[in-house]
Amino acid sequence: MRLNLTPEQQQVVDAVTSLLERHAGKDRAMQLVETGAYDLDLDARLIESGFHDLALMEGCGPLEAALAAYEVARNVGVSAFGGMALVAPMVLGEASAQPTLMATTQTGPVRLGGGDSVVLALDGDQVLAVDATVEDWDPVNRNRSGFPVARLKAQAWVRARRFGPGSAARLRDWWRVEIAITTAGLMRGALDLTVAYVVQRKQFGRPIGSFQAVQHRLARLAILTEGARWLALESAWAGARPDLAATAAAFATGAADHIVRECHQFHGAIGVTREYPLHLWTQRLLQVQQEMGGVAGHRRAAADLVFQDKAVLKLSVAPAV
Amino acid sequence: MEFGWSAEDEAYRDELRAFIQDALPAGWRGYDQTDRPAYKAAAERFSRGMAERGWLTQNWPTEYGGGDCSAWRQCILTEELTPIGEPRGSQYMNVNWIGPAFMRFGTEEQKRYYLRRIAAGDIFWCQGFSEPDAGSDLASLRTRAVRVGDEYVVNGSKIWTSHVGVADYCFLLARTGEPDSRARGITVLIVPMDHPGFTRRNIASLAGDESHYEMFFDDMRVPVEWRLGEENQGWEVVRWALQYERVGTAQYQRAALQLSDVVGKAQDNGAFEDPEIRSRIGEAWATCRAARLLTYKVYDLREEGSPPTADSNLARVASTDALKGVAQLSRDVLGEEALEHDQAVDVIRNGGLAIAAGATEIQLDRIALDFLGLPRSR
Repeated sequence: MRLNLTPEQQQVVDAVTSLLERHAGKDRAMQLVETGAYDLDLDARLIESGFHDLALMEGCGPLEAALAAYEVARNVGVSAFGGMALVAPMVLGEASAQPTLMATTQTGPVRLGGGDSVVLALDGDQVLAVDATVEDWDPVNRNRSGFPVARLKAQAWVRARRFGPGSAARLRDWWRVEIAITTAGLMRGALDLTVAYVVQRKQFGRPIGSFQAVQHRLARLAILTEGARWLALESAWAGARPDLAATAAAFATGAADHIVRECHQFHGAIGVTREYPLHLWTQRLLQVQQEMGGVAGHRRAAADLVFQDKAVLKLSVAPAV
Repeated sequence: MEFGWSAEDEAYRDELRAFIQDALPAGWRGYDQTDRPAYKAAAERFSRGMAERGWLTQNWPTEYGGGDCSAWRQCILTEELTPIGEPRGSQYMNVNWIGPAFMRFGTEEQKRYYLRRIAAGDIFWCQGFSEPDAGSDLASLRTRAVRVGDEYVVNGSKIWTSHVGVADYCFLLARTGEPDSRARGITVLIVPMDHPGFTRRNIASLAGDESHYEMFFDDMRVPVEWRLGEENQGWEVVRWALQYERVGTAQYQRAALQLSDVVGKAQDNGAFEDPEIRSRIGEAWATCRAARLLTYKVYDLREEGSPPTADSNLARVASTDALKGVAQLSRDVLGEEALEHDQAVDVIRNGGLAIAAGATEIQLDRIALDFLGLPRSR
């Protein structure tokens, strides 16, 4: 048990953070959100540095990929990095240099859909994978905030590759890890922006962040944000053990509600505007929250997986193999 | 970063579980504290049994009767003992913060005298902190200790104190500075409970009849050698100690054990089939697990020898929230059957932890200032 980063892990975090500072962040995301474009440039840079390959790299693993995915989300990268670096390698056995997206059904809306990409869909106990091109997508009527969303046309699924029985369970588990780590990163980004705001915003002659009525609520958000991060990282480290993945997704998506509501509340009117970047984090949080059964779905999955036979207490966690 | 236990730690947990199974009746869930002598004897027997195996203070340095093990051993220990009702009784605090406070602030003589006895499972403590007018605002305490020659003359009172009925010593905070000196004028005194000038009164409590006491000091004369740390250094001692006290008991694991009892009930009475109840069970479980990892962060810092941070406040609030969430769920799963139970058990005993060791509001203050870096409210 060791919760701080090894020097190698710190290097990964520092390197990806430095890349994201230059090529992601709120200004970049604000430009892209206007047109609903996907950030192919960011993907190219992440791939060039090998970050998409962390999960299978010698000396690294899914935990390192999750650490990087957390930073991508925190810096509002318009990238399917979690799918590429975490889900693809752990479910398909190879890293993906294409945006890798996840779908619960063949007809549903897909986060970050719309361009050339690999789409993994649940189909009974199997996984369907499609190499989609721009022509394969029907854009979803969107409101210029959050991640771009699109539906795959039926024509695309004709070309789908099918993975064997059991593959769907792995996709579900790793997708939950991806949901958890993406949500945790987005929560942290929204909280950081809000803390910076309440420190500089003055009313009644003092920063609003000096009022205890504000401080205690922000402190609670800090507990949720940190809790979500730890659970997500643990589930990645443990190879998406099903109960841990469901628990991490349940906690993160449940906490997201509080983060979204409170961060908007503390920002007041400016947080409602498109000119101010808060919506970059909050709208994404609400989107990710709805995927794969949503909060209640993850919670029920956790309850079923943890307590399926009889009530047991699990403290031991085995590493990913 | 890695989240697994070493094989040695796993083996220790197994041995510990076997010891507990052997030492306590099946399904044991805490002492009846109303029979004080029997309670104390049983807690002592259990603690000494652990001491014989070197388990009580194994993460202490060997020179103080420890085994030089990692802080994680103490984590495992409390994860196994807190949920079932703490068979060490109030000795749980000895290894957690009282011993370390002596190591850090004590004289060589004090270390020799107290640390060996703590490691042997021989001493019970109580914390003389809160006063009628000094609860959350602990630094305003008024119990006075006036230096007269080689003694302090102590006058005043303490209240809401736990474990008084079985304690051998009181870890007493008294004012040695000017009345308005607040945190700058507090001193720690170690006082035997049978010392002349020291009286006590039991306070009937919803949390259990032996849960709360009041203590009075009437011209109690305390030798200067019984002081821990320097005069007026008490606040530093107590702030340091409280950061450990806050995570000293594995409340997240107590919540998880209670939740597993609730789930057993829900599986029996059919409530588990209700999707809403199942969702809330998953939510409660996730809350316990988050509190667990937030607490592990504190052990990790301790293991590295880093000073305590606001992480202990995060862990404390997360743990007390987990307990409250499980208690609420428990009542809803039980429905009318809950009428048969003492409601105080859920609401007061579990909720009470959000009051002890700094009320939740104090913890949130610390998180706002120390973790988020928000400006002071005044």
